[in-house]
Amino acid sequence: MSVLRERVTWVWLGLVVLTCVTTWGLSKDLFSPTVAVVGIFLIAAVKVRYVMLDFQELRYAPIPVRAAFEVWPWAVAGIILGFWFAAPAIM
Amino acid sequence: MAIHAEPPTVTPARGLAPYPTDYRSWKILAWTGPVFLFAVFCLWGILADNMPPFPASATPVEVKEHFQEMRPRLLIALSICLTMTAFYMSFCVATARVMERIEGPGGILSKLEMMGGTITCAPVMTTMSIWLTAAHEVNNLSPEIMHMLYWFGWFTFDLAYFVTSFQIAAISIVFMRDKREKKLVPNAVSWWGWITFASFFVVSAIPFVTTGPLAFHGVISFWIAFFTWFIWIPALSYYIIKAIPRLQAEDAAAGRLND
Amino acid sequence: MGVVTTEQVKPRRLPGVEGIWVFIGADSVIFAILFLSFMQDRLKNPALFEASRHTLNMNLGGLDTVILLTSSWSVALAVQAMKRDQIDREPRLLLGGAVTGLMFVVSKSFEYFQKFSHGLNPGTNAFYMWYFTLTGIHLVHVVVGTSLLTYLWVRSLRGTYDHLHRAVPESVASYWHLVDLLWVVLFPLLYLMRAV
Repeated sequence: MSVLRERVTWVWLGLVVLTCVTTWGLSKDLFSPTVAVVGIFLIAAVKVRYVMLDFQELRYAPIPVRAAFEVWPWAVAGIILGFWFAAPAIM
Repeated sequence: MAIHAEPPTVTPARGLAPYPTDYRSWKILAWTGPVFLFAVFCLWGILADNMPPFPASATPVEVKEHFQEMRPRLLIALSICLTMTAFYMSFCVATARVMERIEGPGGILSKLEMMGGTITCAPVMTTMSIWLTAAHEVNNLSPEIMHMLYWFGWFTFDLAYFVTSFQIAAISIVFMRDKREKKLVPNAVSWWGWITFASFFVVSAIPFVTTGPLAFHGVISFWIAFFTWFIWIPALSYYIIKAIPRLQAEDAAAGRLND
Repeated sequence: MGVVTTEQVKPRRLPGVEGIWVFIGADSVIFAILFLSFMQDRLKNPALFEASRHTLNMNLGGLDTVILLTSSWSVALAVQAMKRDQIDREPRLLLGGAVTGLMFVVSKSFEYFQKFSHGLNPGTNAFYMWYFTLTGIHLVHVVVGTSLLTYLWVRSLRGTYDHLHRAVPESVASYWHLVDLLWVVLFPLLYLMRAV
């Protein structure tokens, strides 16, 4: 069984790439704060979703449970971004 | 190979009441749990305005003013709460008896539960008494003494949590071991008990902070730590109350009712 | 005669013991409440939060994320091995999970030590209170998870787990992935979230 052909390996690879994009890409000053922050948290929500679906195997869970958990990353990202936009600009 | 005589009945002794049981009193005691919870919520929570509590960052003068403003409400709420805390003890006795039916009579975890739950009453009653005294005497006391009494109450109320932790752990362990196909208390409640157990530890931070999430009025030390318990207790009470007629039916089916 | 299809029709299930999902769900909701509370406090003083954020080590935080993701990957592979009765593959994958968990603990400890030696502690200001509290509670989760993974590793050496006996490892794995995904949110929240 080749590890490279496992779905979880491809998911892991994708997650690591996305981590690099947010940590060493979007966080740089060449992106405006809005683009950076919105991008970073949307990516975080996508990452959480894949951890839930493919690591926690929620893809094969009973639908109501899967649905409830799938709401979480988007609710969290929404709350965080909502408050972020509400915060006044600092001088 | 049998090395002792066969028991007189065929049914396993551990699962049934080995002594006559007063199901009605048992059920009444189980109901004192929700009654206690309702009383605390209405009196301490709403009437005494503790959701959230007056902040840990309040100065002595602010504390004294708060107690002066709230004096009549506090005298009513705290005195009744103090007396009614005994209902938590009676609930715990009822719960211990349900646990014995899983663990066996005289089981150590049911004893731990009963002790843990009953002793929980001590810090609660003491705290109510401290704040009641503070409210009663507010016009005779300096702001510094008022501040001290306020904190005295919170330390007593919050930091004795581990007696309650023992109670919760004993309950969760026993009810998760229930071999009935439909457990007397569902696993979800037991797992929520573990969440409650875990949520108490952070409260140990209260001596060190007066603002932020870990202060005694903060998101973690108050809202999360108190509400995990506030959700656990009604859920547990519901199943404890429902368990008694179930156990009575089991006794009846085995011909063990004390008529 | 039923029609034979090449597609597997598996009944939907939750991995591990059912009760662990009550725990995971509750923990997720509690952390969401904490994230909200953090953002509320940040709203009161965004400048303070931004200035304090700059003292955090983004590279270390990013590395920590990769460490936990790798740990989850290893544990997920271990569970797969159990399903396929590949008993000899399990130990090294579980050990991989435990070792990477330990690496996270070491990294975090180093980070805390650095902060303390610069005179920064939970009492310094509201941001640091949140930073230490959130990462601290998360760290406790990591320590518990790493201990459980170590326990699983030891038992897997004796061939305890296979496709019929995997409820406990699956439960631990599901919990461990929660620990991972919580950090996926915590890291940008504390380290990357720039102010306007």
